[in-house]
Amino acid sequence: MKKLEIILVGLIVFASGCYKHDEPKVHLREEVGSDTAGSNIVTRPVTHAFSALIGEGIEVNQAVTRRNDAGFLELYVNGRNESYNTRRFRYRIEWLDADGIVIETKTSVWLPMSAMGKSPFTIKAVAPRPQAVDFRMDTRKWE
Amino acid sequence: MKAKVLYLITMVCILAAGCAQETTMIDTMHDEGKAVMALDYRDFDMAASKMVQSMLASGALKKADGGRYVVATGRIVNDTTQRIDTDQLMVKIETEILNSGQAVMTSAIGSGSDELLHETRELRDSEEFDPNTAAKRQTLIAPELTISGKIFQRSIRYDRNTQQIEYYFQLKLSDVKSGLRFWQDETLIGKRGSNRSVSWQ
Repeated sequence: MKKLEIILVGLIVFASGCYKHDEPKVHLREEVGSDTAGSNIVTRPVTHAFSALIGEGIEVNQAVTRRNDAGFLELYVNGRNESYNTRRFRYRIEWLDADGIVIETKTSVWLPMSAMGKSPFTIKAVAPRPQAVDFRMDTRKWE
Repeated sequence: MKAKVLYLITMVCILAAGCAQETTMIDTMHDEGKAVMALDYRDFDMAASKMVQSMLASGALKKADGGRYVVATGRIVNDTTQRIDTDQLMVKIETEILNSGQAVMTSAIGSGSDELLHETRELRDSEEFDPNTAAKRQTLIAPELTISGKIFQRSIRYDRNTQQIEYYFQLKLSDVKSGLRFWQDETLIGKRGSNRSVSWQ
């Protein structure tokens, strides 16, 4: 009996060692790509429940700004949805001038955004005035 | 008897007043109200914001010589079941184009034209007005670019109890001289809700 257990554990370790990693630029979702030792029909419910328990959600990794050819500030917010479920939220970007004063614009409204589970996302925004040098961004739940 | 009736009427009035739906102001900055099947101000805000950002990012309004384009607003077709004043969308876009500093809008021609511009020109021959204060001939500036577009909807039966309504906002920016299209974009706003909700008003 003990022999069988050793064989089973050995097979799992061997199988996970043989797992060929996909091209990192291509994201194969669960139930699209092949099952792995860490993600299969047995482990999936546990990992999903654990993710929900620890409250995984949206993480923002980077906010990059650059001035485009037309002279307007462009903002790219790169993030990742760490939860297993699609997260929907709203965001609003306010643009600031050189004195740190908010620029009044009709483009600063709450806009919807959606990020699929365990996936990266990018929010792009363009300042509507050349005077914009900085920004601030707020988020809220999609009701 | 009379006192009793009066008392009853008073009580009914008080109760009825208590049941009336209270009128509240909408917090348009952070409105957390539910979505509605018809287009509301939030949809126009969103569509205008996306369109303006797309137009400015494209660089279509940047003039090679550093000057400002003269832009006229053309026809915005409302092909929805709602009575929409298309200015609800266009005024926001025109305001942002003006404030961007890259273009000026003209009131001389197009859907945003001001009748008084033409009426005041008829005063040249009036004996009541000083002709030197009237606008001279050939002083209006012709537009170089025009914006036109369309708002239309598609209503789809999603299932027995649910309908899906898709609203499409389409805008295009064209060069008057060459007829070439410098920019165009589309924003889709989709809504799903009860079959009993109406999207026409």
